[in-house]
Amino acid sequence: MTDWSLFPPHILPKLRDHYAVKSMRRAPKLFGDTSNFTSIDYGDVLHVGDRYLLVVGYTKEGRFGIDEQPKQWVPKVYDLESGERKIAKLTFHETYTVTIGHLEVTCYRSPEKEARVIELVKGNPYFMQGYSSQDQAGNLVRVLDVIQGQRLDKHLENLGGTHREYFDSHCKKILSNFLESVRGISLLHAHGLKHGDIRRDHIFVDHADGRFRWIDFDYDFYLPERPFALDLFGLGNVLLFILGRKNFRPADILNDPDMGPEVFAGLDTGDLSLVAADRVFNIRKIYPYIPKCLNDILMHFSAGTQVMYDSVDEFHDDLVACIDRI
Amino acid sequence: MAQWEKILVAVDEGETTLRALRYTARMAAAMGDVSICLLHVYPEPPPDFYVNGGQLADYQAAKEKRAEMIFAQGERILFEAGIRPARVQRLVHLAAGRSISQVVLDVQKEGDFGTVAVGKRGVSKAEEFLFGSISNALARHSNRFTTWVVG
Repeated sequence: MTDWSLFPPHILPKLRDHYAVKSMRRAPKLFGDTSNFTSIDYGDVLHVGDRYLLVVGYTKEGRFGIDEQPKQWVPKVYDLESGERKIAKLTFHETYTVTIGHLEVTCYRSPEKEARVIELVKGNPYFMQGYSSQDQAGNLVRVLDVIQGQRLDKHLENLGGTHREYFDSHCKKILSNFLESVRGISLLHAHGLKHGDIRRDHIFVDHADGRFRWIDFDYDFYLPERPFALDLFGLGNVLLFILGRKNFRPADILNDPDMGPEVFAGLDTGDLSLVAADRVFNIRKIYPYIPKCLNDILMHFSAGTQVMYDSVDEFHDDLVACIDRI
Repeated sequence: MAQWEKILVAVDEGETTLRALRYTARMAAAMGDVSICLLHVYPEPPPDFYVNGGQLADYQAAKEKRAEMIFAQGERILFEAGIRPARVQRLVHLAAGRSISQVVLDVQKEGDFGTVAVGKRGVSKAEEFLFGSISNALARHSNRFTTWVVG
């Protein structure tokens, strides 16, 4: 028997009638302290700030379809006052090392940094929106709007057609949208903030207006002399994916019947990624019709480069000049 | 043009700093009336520092204590080469909201140092992209002053 007196009266109608609660065989619990998020379950209610959020599911690790593990610290929730669906990110601090090529970088999951970014980009259509609030134990919970849209990489795949058709019909528009994303990152950097995890699946294409929106700002890293280098590296990788619609590892080229040994033989180590050497950045060797100016931007991220970008603004300015010329 | 006989040496704990100091010591001894400033710049604490209960004052105290040892080692090299103690100065800075190379450049400008000396680690392009190279940054931004990059 559920003791409904634990919950404030004004949320009871929505709570009792919600399918998540009706389908449960146990009474929902109210969590004012979200520290131990592994004990929070489907149908429980989070009390964060002045809001009551019913847990209706969990987001999943979505990195390119490899792991689909539910993220218990990122429940899908239903706001029992507004009736809106949201995503809650509970406080989860972790420190770990990422290996990029043969280099190691220390990374941090930082709720505080994500909260600062959310505050800065409030109302900016090129970023996910939301707010941050503390629970009773002082944990910083971020409550995010759900974006009705699709990951950039899936969006590009779903455009269909051959690469040439994609490039001729869609690429300029995609690049123009991406330019706004680049400006968004520049805005963060101007305020001393990083995105922290720039990847092609961390841009969502909004179904409503087609805008690209950045998501997931809770990663941070420690590179005191080049604080924004990993963001720049990420932007280069996203541009490469936009132009090629996939990443090409040398072995992929060798095994591709349309390219094979002939294209493979034309590659050298200078064509590969500067940092990871795992993918081809000299994309004109794969698709010769890609304009040189775009390829030149990519080549600044290649092992063969003599000049690296120091800032996102430099990358942005080159991209603007190039898009104007396409 | 800045005053070339005012020499700023960016120092840290590495072997390359010792090479830069030895080079500077010999050059300065031969040049005569020069002044040398040993500058140690340390980065801001990592992002999890405060979450783990760290206090900035403690962090700074530890870094400045370490800087004292670096300075003592540097001064020994300079004094052995005949540089008078009165001509050597120490400076230590936290790179708050700036990169280390930017702090060195700012100190150069504020102090009107005509010569900046730094050791060169020798890093790969990938390392330079991710972690940066102070010597490359100084060489690139040398404007109206001279940079000695000692390899």
